[in-house]
Amino acid sequence: MTSKVSRKKHLTQVGRVLATPSSGPSDLAETRIATVLGLKQFMQGPIRTLLIKGLAGTGKTTVALEILKAAGEGKGAYISSRVPKELLETHIPAMKETIDNQEFLDIRLEDATSVLDFVMQLTESKSVRTIVFDSWDGLAKELDQKERLRAEKTLMAIANNSGAQFVFVSEEPGATTIDYLVDGILEVVRVEVEDRVVREFIIDKLRGTKIPQHKYIFTLLDGKFTFFEPYTIPDYSKMRRFDRRPDIDESYSFGSGALDRLFGGMTPGSTLTIEYDETVPYPALRAIELPPIINFLLMGRSAILLPLPGANDELTNTILAKAVDAPALKDRLSILNVLRTSDVKTANLPINATPQQIHGVVTNETIRLRDKSVDKTVLLVKSVSALENLFASDLDSLLEVTSQEIITLQQSHDAHILFLAKDSPIRSRILSMSSSYAKLFVRDGTVLMFGVKPHTGIYALQHLEDPTIPSLTQLV
Amino acid sequence: MNSSSLTSGTEDFAISFRIAVHAGLDKVLGQSGTAAVLSHMQMTGDLPDTAEFHKKLLALFGAQGTLSLERAIVKDLATRLKWSLEVLKIEGAFDFNATMRAVESGSRA
Repeated sequence: MTSKVSRKKHLTQVGRVLATPSSGPSDLAETRIATVLGLKQFMQGPIRTLLIKGLAGTGKTTVALEILKAAGEGKGAYISSRVPKELLETHIPAMKETIDNQEFLDIRLEDATSVLDFVMQLTESKSVRTIVFDSWDGLAKELDQKERLRAEKTLMAIANNSGAQFVFVSEEPGATTIDYLVDGILEVVRVEVEDRVVREFIIDKLRGTKIPQHKYIFTLLDGKFTFFEPYTIPDYSKMRRFDRRPDIDESYSFGSGALDRLFGGMTPGSTLTIEYDETVPYPALRAIELPPIINFLLMGRSAILLPLPGANDELTNTILAKAVDAPALKDRLSILNVLRTSDVKTANLPINATPQQIHGVVTNETIRLRDKSVDKTVLLVKSVSALENLFASDLDSLLEVTSQEIITLQQSHDAHILFLAKDSPIRSRILSMSSSYAKLFVRDGTVLMFGVKPHTGIYALQHLEDPTIPSLTQLV
Repeated sequence: MNSSSLTSGTEDFAISFRIAVHAGLDKVLGQSGTAAVLSHMQMTGDLPDTAEFHKKLLALFGAQGTLSLERAIVKDLATRLKWSLEVLKIEGAFDFNATMRAVESGSRA
């Protein structure tokens, strides 16, 4: 039962909240949730009650606190049946300010009647717009089934009448009575992808709302909820000036801070293989393909590119032309599209050239460009897929020349990046020759990347700063 | 009718009304919800007049919610006083005050 002392304290707190002036007109419940989840396009209908469910440690409380934060300072209340305020702030330090700015009701020792009474007081003045019950199970489990259902119906009625938004946090795995009553259900799950944690939130229900995508990736990096929209093709017209990145100790820079931090740069003589599956959009691969080339050229070095099948040569040239001055491109870059007849002719190759003949061209180009490189080093970026398509009936020869290339580049302290399709028939042999190896794939529309060799965390790839370079956000 | 029987009739109705309010709310809101609503309305002791009760319910649950709750109360009261459930027949808008006044005057008669 509620002690008179604790009850009086709560009521004082409630009174303080109710006295807080309203701070903005545009905080309709539906837009608040939409802002946090980035689901504006989904929120056509009013969502008053939302259930966030998931197992322990999946991030439910952080998601709920983000929704509370979006309510606006002093316009939300957090009803905790699990932990006191101080402990919650210790668990999620990034949300301390949000917790401090909103009403916090510790109901661990309260009964359902008192809690419902608190809710009525909170919503009466209409100034508190979002109330989080964390967790609802903590309270509901004390009630029998019929009583629980009636208490839940009472809350739904209060939410609908007051205009407040109620967010229920639950660890109950199956469907419970509240699942049928609430307007929306978000499920938060934690899955493992090759020993790395990936968090997803799943929109199970959002009444009156069209849901084009049900699952999204999110991270709790720095204790904050950050969700990832599906990968969007970058707008290359917004490309900024490319700043060259100097070598990192003895290693070459990738031309991208994010890639340098992930791999520590490219060790001279090393081969990095990027494995990708068929769902990875080309611009995501381009964000790994082009920055090292641009940076090599800006550093006064040379580069050779054998593009991926389906590469847009015109766009590649436009991007390169914006980043690097024309003489450098002309003198120190060679793009050899082995799938394009004109390039094969330019290289004086027969239409049915063998892997050895292609290798010969690459070797000659390497020698030619080495002379023009400021420190005689060359970067070779090569699509294995393009060569596989060309030499499907002679993959052994392709492997042989690739192996020779790797040895040559290693001895010359050059850098080598290979793009390898996940379903490549020579995948395992290429990977065994690679000094480092990373994977790109798509999950829930988000492009994810991680290093297998060396082992790294898993990251979401976006273009937050510039369309040509990758931004990597760690999933934790 | 003498004054003592009039008082007795009023008391009977007040007791029945209080019981019906608890029972009617309980059917919809459950024990916790009922206790919370009555506590919030500061109606744990004597119940106020029906107009004020209606107004407070309206503030908490809105028109539709209040209608459901009041109909549950009237239904319980009518059953308790062995009145016909005709009082719940919807002819035009349901008027809690008018219905309760009718039930009250009927119970005194």
